[in-house]
Amino acid sequence: MVFEFISEGPKGQIPKLIKFSETTLKGFYNLAFGDKDSETGDIDDTVISNNGDSERVLASVVSAVYVFTEFKNDSWIYATGSTKSRTRLYRMGISKYLDEVKQDFNVFGLREGEWEEFEKEKDYSAFLVKRK
Amino acid sequence: MKTIKELNEKRIPIVRIDNSLEKYKSMPIFQDKVDMANEVLRTVGLPKLASKQQ
Repeated sequence: MVFEFISEGPKGQIPKLIKFSETTLKGFYNLAFGDKDSETGDIDDTVISNNGDSERVLASVVSAVYVFTEFKNDSWIYATGSTKSRTRLYRMGISKYLDEVKQDFNVFGLREGEWEEFEKEKDYSAFLVKRK
Repeated sequence: MKTIKELNEKRIPIVRIDNSLEKYKSMPIFQDKVDMANEVLRTVGLPKLASKQQ
């Protein structure tokens, strides 16, 4: 399933694409998102657009997870950043809204090669959520 | 399966179907991330879920 939304900020309107990709395990999806080149349609998940709306961008990604899991409510959603700093940004975003997120999702973090229940202030290399 | 109309009546964002996005479904975008996810699945597997409370 693919979603598109627009980042709006000082650098103008930047189309962004979110894709839930199938993996080798049925019901386990990789979530990734990146900037869409409005002319070529190419996607780049490494570009740092610095459009001043990172919190809204993350909120849009969370919204897409809600929509996706309305359709596939038994699915696992896996996500990680393309860099350590971006993964840390995602971790901070999850931490900020953890109490709300936990009402609807089981949230896990990957740490030292094992999944554990997500806790604020801990570093993780990847995240996994499942709708309750 | 819920319809988009039903979804839009809930407290989640308005979603509009855009058929131009169909081409991305089969396109191998973010393939490096999918490969990493598959590697985590292979080496770590899934976490255990606590059983639901009644």
